[in-house]
Amino acid sequence: MQPIRIAVLGIIFLGIISLNLANAAKFELPIKEHVFDNGLRLLVIERPGESRVVSKIFTDMGALNETPGQYGAAHFLEHLMFKGTPTLGSRDWQREAELHEQIQIAEDALEEERNRARNDIRERGVFHDYQHASTTPRIEELQGLIDSLNQQVLELNDEGPMKRWYQAYGGTRLTATTEQEYMKFDLDLPADRVELFLRVEADRMENSVFRNFDAERMILVEQRLGDLNRPDTEYREAMNSLVGRASMVYVPEGYANDFNQYTRRYERELYETYFVPNNTTLIFIGGVTLEDMIPKVDKYFGHMERRPEPARYQGREPLPSAEKQLTWRSSTMSPRVEIRYQIPGVGHPDRPIFDVLAEALQPHLQAVLAASDVAGTISVNTRVVHTERFGVPASINFEVLVSDPSSLDAAEVAVLTELKRLASTPLAEADVALARKKLRTEWYRTAADPNALAFQIGHFEVMDSWQTLQPYLEAREQASGKDIARLVDSYFVAKNRSVGVVTPEGASE
Amino acid sequence: MKRLGLLLLITSVSASAQEITHPTRMNLPASEFSRPDPTDYQLALENGLVAYIAEANQVPLVTLSAFIAAGAVSDEKQGSAETLAEALRRGPTADNAGEFQKTLKYMTAEYSVSMHDEWTEVTLNVPLEDLNAALPLFAKIIRGPAIDNDALERAKLKAAPGGKDLSGESGPALYEGSLDAAVDRFHEVLFKDHPYGIDPTVSDFDDLEVSDVREFHATRFVPANMTLAIAGDIDAEDIQSAIVDLFGDMPFSDAPARVLAPDIGHSTLTQHTFPVEKLQSWLVFGHELPVTPLDDQAALEVMNYILAGGHLYTRMTVETRYRYGYTNDASGFLEDRWFGPGTYTFRSYSRHDVIRDIYENMVDEIDRIRANEVTDEELFVAKGALTEGSFQIRYLDGYTIARNFAMERLRFGDHSRSATYVDRVRAVSADDVLEAAKKYLHPDRMQVVLVGKEIDLLD
Repeated sequence: MQPIRIAVLGIIFLGIISLNLANAAKFELPIKEHVFDNGLRLLVIERPGESRVVSKIFTDMGALNETPGQYGAAHFLEHLMFKGTPTLGSRDWQREAELHEQIQIAEDALEEERNRARNDIRERGVFHDYQHASTTPRIEELQGLIDSLNQQVLELNDEGPMKRWYQAYGGTRLTATTEQEYMKFDLDLPADRVELFLRVEADRMENSVFRNFDAERMILVEQRLGDLNRPDTEYREAMNSLVGRASMVYVPEGYANDFNQYTRRYERELYETYFVPNNTTLIFIGGVTLEDMIPKVDKYFGHMERRPEPARYQGREPLPSAEKQLTWRSSTMSPRVEIRYQIPGVGHPDRPIFDVLAEALQPHLQAVLAASDVAGTISVNTRVVHTERFGVPASINFEVLVSDPSSLDAAEVAVLTELKRLASTPLAEADVALARKKLRTEWYRTAADPNALAFQIGHFEVMDSWQTLQPYLEAREQASGKDIARLVDSYFVAKNRSVGVVTPEGASE
Repeated sequence: MKRLGLLLLITSVSASAQEITHPTRMNLPASEFSRPDPTDYQLALENGLVAYIAEANQVPLVTLSAFIAAGAVSDEKQGSAETLAEALRRGPTADNAGEFQKTLKYMTAEYSVSMHDEWTEVTLNVPLEDLNAALPLFAKIIRGPAIDNDALERAKLKAAPGGKDLSGESGPALYEGSLDAAVDRFHEVLFKDHPYGIDPTVSDFDDLEVSDVREFHATRFVPANMTLAIAGDIDAEDIQSAIVDLFGDMPFSDAPARVLAPDIGHSTLTQHTFPVEKLQSWLVFGHELPVTPLDDQAALEVMNYILAGGHLYTRMTVETRYRYGYTNDASGFLEDRWFGPGTYTFRSYSRHDVIRDIYENMVDEIDRIRANEVTDEELFVAKGALTEGSFQIRYLDGYTIARNFAMERLRFGDHSRSATYVDRVRAVSADDVLEAAKKYLHPDRMQVVLVGKEIDLLD
C-alpha cells in the first residue's frame, strides 16, 4: 500500500465492506508432524515470510506425577532446570562436578540423619508452625557442609547461562510453566536462529545441573507467600480438596511444609524419568518449515535414546457419592456461595459442550439472580488451581458473589432451582448460539497469537492429542440447547455437588 | 547417551554425540531484520488524521484503535478528562449505555478505554462478520461519546474515597499489600503537589459542567491530535475508504499546544514506610526521570537493561534472586513521560527478614554500575536483546506494526526514532553506559517506599 493523501469528502459512511464470511468458522490448523525414531514429536505450523518463530518444548509431566509430601516438586524442578548445564554456566566443570558429588553425599547423609532422628524432630502438632525447625547437631553440621560446598560452586558459576544467550541473540518471551499435566519452556526468536533453541533445550533436557538448590527453594517459599497474600487462596484450595478426594488435579503447587522436603535425589529421579524423548513434544510456529526443522532437530535430539515409557497419570476419582459443603469465614473475602460439580476431562465427548454450557449459563443465571432480587454477580468457570482444562476430570464452578450476606441462601436456591429447571427446559437456541459465537471469537483471539496457539497445541497433546484440538473446537460449534440440558440432567446431581459458602467472620457458627 | 547420572555425566559430555557448541561459537546468522516501512501502512487525511492499516489474515478478527494525545493531566478543569473517559466507556451519544453494551455483547467484542496521564487509547476488537457495524460504531464513539450527567456522576463516584476499583473481587485486602500499592505510594510521594500527582476530588466534580467536558473533547479529540491503528482480516483499500467516509469530514484544527509540565525539585534520600500486616513487604525506590534527550536514550536503555531491566537476567536479579533466593523479582523501570518528568524506579518484594538485604544488594548494584564500566559480554547481550529481541517484536504482526507506528506518530510526529533505533543502540559503548549511569542514577535523591513491615532500610 502506498501512502495516500485523500481529500476530505465529508460524506456519510455508507460503504459496505465485502466480508469473506467463508472464514466465519475457521478452525483449520495446518499442523505438520514428524515423529523421530526415539519417540520425540515435532509439530510445525509453517508461516512463510515471518521473521520469527515461536518455539516450545512440552514434557508430559507435572504435579500429577508428584508423591505426597513432595507437592510442588515438579514446579521446583522447572526452576532447577534454569540453572545451566556443564557447558552452560560453569567456568570449571571438572572442579564443579566434584563439588556436586560431595554435596550429594552430604545430602544423602542428611537424609539418613533425619530418618534416624525422626522421632525427635518430626512435627506432630496440628496447629504447627511450618517453619518448625527441630534439629540435631549432625543435621546442623551437614547443612553447614552443604552450604559451604554450595558457596564453592557459586564461585565457579556464571548465573543465568540460558537466559543470557537467548536474550543476546534476540530471544524474547522466555518463560516456563509447570501445571498439573505439563512442564514447558517457551521462546520467541528470529527464525534463522532456531538452532539456538534446539541446542539449549536439548542440553537442558539431558544435562541440567541443579545448582544453588537451597536458595532456589526459597523462591518457592516467596511464590507461596505471594499466593497466601491473596485473601481467597486458602479458601479455593479448601474448595478444591472438597471436590476431589484422590486426583492430584485439585492440589496446589506445594504447601509451605512441602518445600523443605525436596531433595536433589528426588528431583533428579523426576528429571530422569520424564525428560526423555518419547515423552517430549517440540512445537514451532513461524518462519520455519517442517522439512528444514527435521534435520536440525535430529542434530540436537537425534542421539537421545528412546527410554522406557514413563508412567503417565491414570488416576481417577472415586464415584461421586454425596453432596459436600464447606463453610468458610472471612473478613477479607466477599461473601459468596459457590456450587461445583465434577465434569469429565478433555477427550470425553461431553467436555467441549461444557464450554458452551458455561458460556451460555453465565448471563442466563445472572438474569435469574436479578429476577430473584439477589444483588450479586455470578461467574461460571472451569478453573482449578490455574488451569481451565485437564485430560482428567475436574470441575465446573458456579460462583455467586453477593452484596448482602443475608442473601446467600437465596442465591444458592436460585441457582439450584434454575439448574434443575434447565434439565427439562432447554436454553433458548439464540442464547446458545451467542455462547458459541463468543467461544469462536475467543478462539480466534487465541489463534491470532502464535504463542497462545502453540500453547493450546501442546496442552492438547498432553491432555489427549494435538489432533483432537480441531475436533474439540468443531464439537463446540455443534452444541445445542438439548445437549446442554442433557449435561445438566446428568452431571448436576446432588451426589456430584460440592457447595462452598463464604460468610463474614463472626457470623454465627 | 541418556541418564548416566551426575558422575558419569562428568566424563561423558565431551565423548557424547550430543551437539554442545557454545552459543557464541554456533555461527548464528546475523540479523537480517529491517523495520517495516511506515509509509506502506499509512493513510493521511487532509484534516490531519493519520491512520495505519495492516492486513493480518490468520483469523477473521479486526482490531480498531484510536490514540489521542490527551489524558488525565491534559484538562484545564479538573475532572474533565476522567469524565470523558467514563463517557467513552459508555459509548456514543446516539445510543443509551444499555444499547451500546448489548451491541458489544452480540458482537462478542472486546472494548477498552485506557486513559493515561498524557494520552488515551480506545480499542475495539470484533469478529470480521461484525466489521461493517463496528467501524461506524467506533467512529461514533470517538467523535461523539456520551458526555452527560451520568458520565459525570460515574467519574465523581470513582473520585470518592473508596471509589477506586481495586483488584477485583479480592478488593482492598489484596491491594493494600501489593506492588501496585507500593508503586502508587511512590508516585504520591514523588509527585506531591505536582500536576502529575493531583487527582480530582469529589468537590472538583461539583464545579464541573457537562459543557466543560464537551469542550475538552472538542479541543482535544481533533484529527491532528489523534492517530488510528486498524489491523486484521481486512482489505486495506476498503478500510482506507471507510476511514475517509467516517472521519474525513472532521474539520481541520491545529493540535493543542503541548505544554511541558514543571520539573520536580531534587529530593534527598528518604524512607517512607506504609505499615500493613502481610506475609511479605513491597519495596519501590527511585527518583524522577527527566525528559531524556534522544542522544542519551540508547545508552540509558542499555544501562538499565544490564542493571535491572525487567527481565530474568540482570545484575539485580543475580544478586537478589539467583545467588541468595531472596526474592522472585528485583527489577528497574524507566518510565518516561511525553511532556514532563517521569520516574526511574527499582522494585522488589519478599519475606520481611530479607527485605533489607534485597535493598542493600540493589543499591550496591546501582553504585557499581555508576563506578565501573560494564563488560563487553554484558554490552553484547544487552544490545542483542534490545535490537533483535524487544525491538523486533514491536513489529511482530499486523496489529503491533499499526499500533507502534500510530503511537510513535502521535508522540513524536514522525518515525525517525524507530528508523534510527537499532543503529543508535549498536553504537553505545561501555563508556556511554557509565556516563548514563552517572547522569540518570542518583542514590542521594532516592525516595524509598516500603509497604509492609516497619523496617529501617537506611540506618
